[in-house]
Amino acid sequence: MEGVITTQARVIGALVLRETRTAFGDTQLGYLWAVVTPTLSTLVLVFIFSTVGRAPAFGTSFALFFATGVFPFQTYSKLSNSLMTAISSSRGLLSYPLVKETDILLSKYILITLTYFMIIIVFFTTLVLFNDAPIPVRVEECGIAFFMLTLLGLGAGATNAVIFRLWPTWKQLEAIISRPLFFLSGIFYVPSDFPTDIVKLLSWNPVLHGIEWFREGYYGNYDSIVLDRTYLLTVATILLLIGFFGERLYRKKSIR
Amino acid sequence: MIEFQEVHKSYRLKGVTKTILNKLTTRFPTGKNIGILGHNGAGKSTLMRLIAGAELPDSGRIKRNVKISWPLGFGGGFAGKMTGIENVRFVARMYGEDTERMVEFVEDFSELGPSMTLPIQTYSSGMKARLAFGVSMAINFECYLIDEVTAVGDRRFKRKCDEVFESKLKHANIIMISHSERTIKKLCDTACLLHEGELIMYDSVDEALAQHRENQLK
Repeated sequence: MEGVITTQARVIGALVLRETRTAFGDTQLGYLWAVVTPTLSTLVLVFIFSTVGRAPAFGTSFALFFATGVFPFQTYSKLSNSLMTAISSSRGLLSYPLVKETDILLSKYILITLTYFMIIIVFFTTLVLFNDAPIPVRVEECGIAFFMLTLLGLGAGATNAVIFRLWPTWKQLEAIISRPLFFLSGIFYVPSDFPTDIVKLLSWNPVLHGIEWFREGYYGNYDSIVLDRTYLLTVATILLLIGFFGERLYRKKSIR
Repeated sequence: MIEFQEVHKSYRLKGVTKTILNKLTTRFPTGKNIGILGHNGAGKSTLMRLIAGAELPDSGRIKRNVKISWPLGFGGGFAGKMTGIENVRFVARMYGEDTERMVEFVEDFSELGPSMTLPIQTYSSGMKARLAFGVSMAINFECYLIDEVTAVGDRRFKRKCDEVFESKLKHANIIMISHSERTIKKLCDTACLLHEGELIMYDSVDEALAQHRENQLK
């Protein structure tokens, strides 16, 4: 018998490759769309805002400021959203004894994380090449912030998946609850623009901390007034524990 | 050898609890082809998924020390947007098989020709069944689980299926569900009967079939 870990690694690898085909299999460019769509739609938004003459809340480039907020945010929300239904929509796969629920979650996590990693590289490289942005001051901080947000997304997505399995209405409710996050995560503004009591409320949002962290890394002189790295890590850990313990509890037990 | 120890399995749906297996302890002997009998809804397919490991019991343990297939005759794991070849490659990668060897085998066996490069969602149910059968025959398992193989394709293809199956049976065993007494008699050495949460092993197929018929009349 071969090791359990090698088998699972092989299964996850096969699932990642499969996912690149199933998501965009019927289009001409295939998987490339996963990178192209978010990049272009962000460019359009940047273009609209710049023509309106909107000044960035920090720094000189609106595109840079917006991108440092919107891409980390999208990474999180895409993960928390797609992982929720990942298992239920690939139920047929579970008929293969080798495939476990966690494999489906992890393969999707890996693919989404890699995709957004590529999007971020492409977008920021383009900005730097067009002299619209400096190179990031502390790249490693950006990297850690991004990774933390993916962990947060994995935790939230796994937790969502558990709740969704027990209570399918959650899918609709979650969409309503998480909609305002787009405006509460500091994508368009810096928290210090607001009075202290509002900042206090905003700082409950772990995604905001991830974005602030990313910006501190990129700008070097951003000096966030809310950033608490431990808080983000704590929330992510708690969600991961809930999500994966819940998954263990209900693994392969639900009705098809 | 597949061994069930105190295995309990029940479903709850909208307040109705249905017990499939009630603290079952039994073993499926190695080296024998076993048929599973039971009326519709008795939980034969669930039992098969438990054997495969595609589903977990509520309590108890299932031990297996042979390489077991997924429940055969099912194409539920195929992705409609992927082509036949891509679906074959996926299964090959998962089981650590040589992808090109497996694609070749399935192409040759299923006789789907150029359709192999088309997305599965364009296939007819017969074509899908051919592909599914080909994929499971491409991997050498020690125990094949067969859930109600209905007729796949025309007579020539059926003969081909029988041939490859017989060659597999020289080195492997089967556990099968079938409503056809003829199929069970032809392929199985022994049979068991799943009835109201209890699974009873019989020494001979005839004995099991007789009891099964009797249950049906009640």
